[in-house]
Amino acid sequence: MYLFTNAIKNLGRNKGRNMLIAVITLAIIISTVVTLTINNAAARVVDDIRLDLGSRVSVRQDFIEMRQMGLDGRRDAQHIPLTDFVAFSESEFLRHTTFSADVLAWSDSLFAIDDPNLGEGTRVLDDGSVMNEETLRLVTISDPELLPDFGTLREIVDGRMFDGINEAVISEALAAHNDISVGDTIEIIGAYATDRMFSLTVVGIYSDATDEYLNPWITMFGLFPALNRRNEIIASFDTLLASSWETNAGLDIDFHYFLSNPDYLEAFEVEVRAMGLPFTYNVDINRAAFERVTGPLAGISSAAFTFMVVVLVLGAITLGLMSYMAVRERKYEVGVLRAMGLERGRVAIGIISEAVMIAAVCLVIGLGVGSAVAQPIANGMLSGRVAEAEAVENPGANRALFAGGQMQIGDGTAGYVPVSEIQLNLGVDIILQIIIITLGLAALTSIIGVVIITQYEPLIILRERT
Amino acid sequence: MSVLALKDVSYKYEGTTRVIFKDVNLTFEPGKVYTIVGKSGSGKSTLLSLLSGLDTATSGKVEIGGESLASINRNHYRRKKAGIIFQSLNLLPNATAIDNIVLSMNISGVTGIDKKARALELLEKVGISQEKANRKIVKLSGGEQQRIGIARALAHNPELIIADEPTGSLDKDTEVKVLKIFRSLAQEEGKCVIIVTHSKKVTTIADEIWGLEKGSFRQLDPSEVQAGREIIAKKGRKLV
Ligand SMILES: Nc1ncnc2c1ncn2[C@@H]1O[C@H](COP(=O)(O)OP(=O)(O)OP(=O)(O)O)[C@@H](O)[C@H]1O
Ligand SMILES: [Mg+2]
Repeated sequence: MYLFTNAIKNLGRNKGRNMLIAVITLAIIISTVVTLTINNAAARVVDDIRLDLGSRVSVRQDFIEMRQMGLDGRRDAQHIPLTDFVAFSESEFLRHTTFSADVLAWSDSLFAIDDPNLGEGTRVLDDGSVMNEETLRLVTISDPELLPDFGTLREIVDGRMFDGINEAVISEALAAHNDISVGDTIEIIGAYATDRMFSLTVVGIYSDATDEYLNPWITMFGLFPALNRRNEIIASFDTLLASSWETNAGLDIDFHYFLSNPDYLEAFEVEVRAMGLPFTYNVDINRAAFERVTGPLAGISSAAFTFMVVVLVLGAITLGLMSYMAVRERKYEVGVLRAMGLERGRVAIGIISEAVMIAAVCLVIGLGVGSAVAQPIANGMLSGRVAEAEAVENPGANRALFAGGQMQIGDGTAGYVPVSEIQLNLGVDIILQIIIITLGLAALTSIIGVVIITQYEPLIILRERT
Repeated sequence: MSVLALKDVSYKYEGTTRVIFKDVNLTFEPGKVYTIVGKSGSGKSTLLSLLSGLDTATSGKVEIGGESLASINRNHYRRKKAGIIFQSLNLLPNATAIDNIVLSMNISGVTGIDKKARALELLEKVGISQEKANRKIVKLSGGEQQRIGIARALAHNPELIIADEPTGSLDKDTEVKVLKIFRSLAQEEGKCVIIVTHSKKVTTIADEIWGLEKGSFRQLDPSEVQAGREIIAKKGRKLV
């Protein structure tokens, strides 16, 4: 017991040295708390994103890849029966699948918004002949709940959401442009399968506050009414299946296969390739979007980690040196104690408990200060990274490829924003890690000294002084 | 109370050729004051390190109660049996006088008494006021420090008191005070007191005076010792 009371008194007797040790220890603890809480929270968020975006696999024809292989998107495109796409969803690696497919279409009876031509999906060519041109887009989806923007930027203002086959909802703008009201029937024709006519009953009209074009640059090369979001006609995926559409030719398929575990991607691909999926198709998650969303988080994680490693290494070296220098100072004290008959082990207990006490005080303060400053630091770092990520011109985002009714617009990052908020909290696991690191530091500061000091016989230590 | 004895002790510092002691035989009995005199560098402090178990003989044995110090737990011996007053004092400079003494008692395993009160009592005996008792060692004079070293050595009530030049920095009055304490420890409490000194005054309280020269000890005239002791007993102050 007296060893501890003496240790406490010793802390006060060597204020200068102990304050210095405490300041360094505190710096290490605070930076560790900040780093670990940031990394922990970032890892949690990234895990969540992995379960969502990172588990969402698309099976799409890869035009860019095809072009690089010298293939022509239109000529060499391989079409797959829709039933195959549906069969893929049976895979045991999946948790569920959402189906959506867009059909570029025209209509003899509807005028598309932004159509610079005759309207009604026709265009007069230079030689005077008239050709059809897709000006509308039939958007089909397996579950209306999955429709993006509904509930936020889009709202049914008249009628209801589609439910059965051949029911559709359209935008207020398109309705007004063509004087359509709920209950009317509209007829549209698939642009790449002209024998497929859809006869759809408008069951709902929605207000639409989305950007007309996903990307403003689309309009730079002329107007593509089919890409104007006001020209979407939204119906169920069953409507498409019921139209006896056989393959994905003329369809812009977007099936999302949700893996039950993000690590199953490869296994899933092997499985669907075995089922005959051609090599021109890509089986992958939206990596670009994933990177865009998680990039800043990964950035601050590694920056914080680097910082912590630097602080830890420098701190450990400094503490080690200080402890080594303290040996000289303490040699005499140890000699006195040993001359009075105090055993080596007890001397060591005294020295170690001093270090542990400093560490314990630093731990309490460090945890408090660290958890208080971690959130603002994380916010600051993250907003910097997000701004950086947003400032970077992404050439991939402004890329558009069309082939046979299928289109590849951008690199898939459109509509995805980097995670810009992170909620830190100091969990038990982090506290434990900090305690271990702190004890390690305390051990480092004391053990070097203890090992050297207790090697000496007391008389030798005392003689050295006089 | 046990007898402390040197049996055929020879000593040489490691790495040196000079023989400090050659086949020394000496016996220190309880209830007596011994003084060791000799020229500077003759080996007096070296003898005390052997007696206090801080160093071991090159050959021969130092025995306490018939047991060789080389074979017993010398930490225990220093903690319990010996009270050492170092020539270089060896106090903890940043601790107070009281803390130095209480810590020493704690190390020695003193229990069942108010250690602070005992420390204060001892300090008062050697003429250190309560105010000074609470000062750090570095803020005390050499003579004051020396007296604290003495108080510390006595605090755990050891049966052996081994003192290296304990009165070197003391004025005459204080020296007498301290010598009286040593005398009474031997006479009334049956302790064995071994004092290395250059001071003639100190030899006046001794039962035996041993001179060290060229590695061997020779007992000096005891009559001189007897006379000195009587003077101390009667007059104290007018010693010498
Ligand atoms: N660690 C050591 N290594 C080698 N020689 C030493 C060592 N310590 C002391 N000596 C030598 O041994 C001799 C005896 O030293 P010691 O300290 O015992 O003398 P002393 O009689 O106490 O002298 P003083 O009266 O000056 O205190 C001296 O010549 C000294 O130089
Ligand atoms: Mg000496």
